[in-house]
Amino acid sequence: MQMGGSKELKEQVLDKDLCTVCGACVDLCPYFKAYNGKVAQIFECDLTQGRCFAHCPKTGVDFEQLAQNYFQQPYRGDALGFYRRITAARAGEKLGSGQFQNGGTVSALVTMALESGLIEGAVLTDSEGVKPVPRLVTQAGEVLDCASTKYMAAPTISCLNQAAGKGLRNLGVVGTACQLTGVAQSRLNPTRKEGFEDPVALTIGLFCTWSLDARKFQDLLADRVDTSTITGMDVPPPPAEIFVIRTHNGTVEIPLPEIRAIVPKGCSVCPDMTAEWADVSVGALEGSSGWNTLIIRTEKGEQLVEKAVSEGYLILDAFPDSSLENLTLGAGNKKKRAQEKADMEEE
Amino acid sequence: MNLIAKQEKDGRYLLMGNEAIARGALEAGVAVAAGYPGTPSSEIIENLARVTTERDLYVEWSTNEKVAMEVAAAGSFAELRSLCILKQNGVNVASDFFLHLAGSGTRGGMVIIPCEDPGALSSINEGDSRHFSRMLEVPLIEPGNFQEAKDMTKWAFELSETLRCPVMLRSVTRLSHASGNVVFGELPVTHHKARFQHDGFILDPDTGMISSAPVAYRHGLQQEKLQKAIELFETSPFNTYTGPENPELLVITSSACNLYTKEAIQLLDVGDRVGLLKLGTTWPLPPKLLGKYLATTDKILIVEEVIPFLEENVKILAAETAETIGIKKFYGKRDGSIPSVNELNPDLVITALANILELNYEGVAAAYTEKALPLAFLNAPVRDLTFCPGCPHRASFWNIRTVLKKDNREGFVCGDIGCYSLAMLPTGFSTTKTMHAMGSGTGIASGFGQLARFGMDQPVLSVCGDSTFFHAVMPALVNAVHHKSDITLIVLDNSGTAMTGFQPHPGLEVDAQGSEALKLDIQAICESMGATVQVTDPFDFKATQNALFEMLQIKSGVKVLVLKQSCALSPEKKHTRRFEMSVDSASCLGEDCGCNRLCTRIFRCPGLVWDKVNGISKIDDAICSGCGVCASICPVGAIEKREVA
Repeated sequence: MQMGGSKELKEQVLDKDLCTVCGACVDLCPYFKAYNGKVAQIFECDLTQGRCFAHCPKTGVDFEQLAQNYFQQPYRGDALGFYRRITAARAGEKLGSGQFQNGGTVSALVTMALESGLIEGAVLTDSEGVKPVPRLVTQAGEVLDCASTKYMAAPTISCLNQAAGKGLRNLGVVGTACQLTGVAQSRLNPTRKEGFEDPVALTIGLFCTWSLDARKFQDLLADRVDTSTITGMDVPPPPAEIFVIRTHNGTVEIPLPEIRAIVPKGCSVCPDMTAEWADVSVGALEGSSGWNTLIIRTEKGEQLVEKAVSEGYLILDAFPDSSLENLTLGAGNKKKRAQEKADMEEE
Repeated sequence: MNLIAKQEKDGRYLLMGNEAIARGALEAGVAVAAGYPGTPSSEIIENLARVTTERDLYVEWSTNEKVAMEVAAAGSFAELRSLCILKQNGVNVASDFFLHLAGSGTRGGMVIIPCEDPGALSSINEGDSRHFSRMLEVPLIEPGNFQEAKDMTKWAFELSETLRCPVMLRSVTRLSHASGNVVFGELPVTHHKARFQHDGFILDPDTGMISSAPVAYRHGLQQEKLQKAIELFETSPFNTYTGPENPELLVITSSACNLYTKEAIQLLDVGDRVGLLKLGTTWPLPPKLLGKYLATTDKILIVEEVIPFLEENVKILAAETAETIGIKKFYGKRDGSIPSVNELNPDLVITALANILELNYEGVAAAYTEKALPLAFLNAPVRDLTFCPGCPHRASFWNIRTVLKKDNREGFVCGDIGCYSLAMLPTGFSTTKTMHAMGSGTGIASGFGQLARFGMDQPVLSVCGDSTFFHAVMPALVNAVHHKSDITLIVLDNSGTAMTGFQPHPGLEVDAQGSEALKLDIQAICESMGATVQVTDPFDFKATQNALFEMLQIKSGVKVLVLKQSCALSPEKKHTRRFEMSVDSASCLGEDCGCNRLCTRIFRCPGLVWDKVNGISKIDDAICSGCGVCASICPVGAIEKREVA
């Protein structure tokens, strides 16, 4: 694995517009900070090796090393990554009702993990108005505040960095592929920092095909709707080709090409749709709103799901073969496109 | 009793050039003195302000140099002797009024004293105001030593009254700020009586209205005055010659260069080969006097600082009299004998003399230089220009830089003149990106704030100090508000004209004489202009950064953030500490990833030192001013502050 410091991170990622604002480099030190959907270097740091560079998911990820460490297997490059099984899931009655994007599976798992003491805190993404903001939740009752997809890049991992810096351990993290790739790298202590302790006890991945540039998306929203009236957002399955904004005054549709135009460049080189470096990954289940696709990847993930089901937080159902086919195809295409884009960038 | 107001005639005292000038003005019975602080001029007003009661004077620090000249002119119009003090670029500020004043003429003796800064020791320009004398057609005189600084100041008032026009007396740093022996003259008994006569015949210089119009008539009068000045200058005792009757080389010089040249001639021991014509009256030049000395030799060297002003004027006279004095070989700035930039010193004059006279002179031995240079380079610690410990500007620019970087739209700050000019350097985190004249930051920002129509999407900020705000920022701010420029002005209000030594300004309750003055409120002024205004303490990072973030989100119009915290050297703060500071060596991360010496590498307050041996930061107890700000920057809270009871 290539090593570098903040200078290399700035040159190779920020200056090339490849940052997806995952927050992996933010708040580890006084130099990298996030503000309103952008990451910036405030002052120069002259260390030639830094965690900022080592944790970043865009500086070159050593998939082989991650595969060996988290799955004790060689990396194969499968469309969906390593997994034990895939199932349909939704929140059970124990959770209560919330503003879920789909089936509430993530909220159910995090709530259960907090209530049962599996984790002492969860790093989630809340919102202020339409702005996504990282949030450390320590009370199960606060989990539902953070439900539903934000669609915008958020520096969620900065919140993990802050919490770890304060000495907190046994944390759960919910994030997309870039965020959890950053987390997976950080947990291996790549810079061999003295006295390192892994602060993470659980990772829950979120499916993600792209996110949106937060500032551009906020401007676009402000142009089309009174943002204070927004109740939710959604991308209906193909062939709809629209982005739907639900408000108190009805729905507003935006053609998908307009939305794709404000996807950060960094998303186009991301090979990971289903957040492969997580204990479990959760996304929509095509054709069944109210249900999620749940990929169980690790033994810890398996135990979590079993416990959630047995305690009534989660309900599982069979995962249709046709859905697996589509999911594999979608994730494989993202890998292929990312590879092509990355090759083009290198040329 | 203040030294410069001592009655004792013929007493000999060691005086700073600026004190000598102030004494000269007192000996002339000056009644009104006004100026704007600026190095190296400030001590003249300061010294006069201390003796206002005993010498029956009015002294003020004016809002800016133009106003200072106008205030002084009023004294002259009311038949009093008056003085206007400014630094070189201050003459530019005052020049519009100066042009008209030269045309209108004066009544009571009026002397304008620019103290200039060749080499820009305390300036960001090497302005030379001598050209103003030729451009505006007023007489220029230049003292060549400390005694002359006093004597010529006194004479300047008499000259002004004889000619009925303002007289420029130019000083430079090495005269204003160096000291020499001065023999005192008599102090007059003063009973100033001011009266402005204005009802007489319109063209009567004593009783009519005062104006530069009718222009052709008054301009003609002005040139007659200059002719009269030339006659007086032909026999002035301040123009002196020393040297052989027919020198091999004639050096013509003035001002502090006179001292350098005398030293050079002495060190080279060429007093029998070189003649020295020291001119005290440098414009208009007396042609007969010049002709007399030019005729004595074929080689002429002109020694002066900054612009070849004297050189060009001498050459004009030499061309006009070539028939009688013959063709000369000139040495000076135009042929490279004398450097064209930076101040001079005896060594540079020696080099010029040695080259012309073909002498082998080694001012500094080459072997010494060869040995000394690398030693100095390798062994001397790096000492960058830096804000003082506890300086509020360090905190202000930390906040501004942090917000602009986080905001991440390539916003920038237009700088201005004050201690905070240093913000273009690492001590201010290289935050300011333009820097010109007083008030120019906000004027430039006002222009940038109009460029959104051409696609500029960067936030535009400007900074100014509290004194600069009154001096020249207010008109720029009016312009920005009126034209709805999208800018944020940050007023770094440290409660005084700190850079030049805490002179009062219109934002304070006291004037130059120590009397109670009416205080103008910057926040209220900006609000009344229609700007959105907030006031925070720059030591409060959270409040300051939040306010600035908020202002950057307001998409149109002028926003003003007043950062209020007095200068660490201000009389009320100096020698007091609000906090005792300490570093917890166990938690200090030092050079580790996660900090990498943020406090001693980036923040760099001189009160923080890097302990290389132990790899931790420490407080330098002798230097720390106890402001407590560094506790806010440490990423792990290792810098601790304890309030001093």
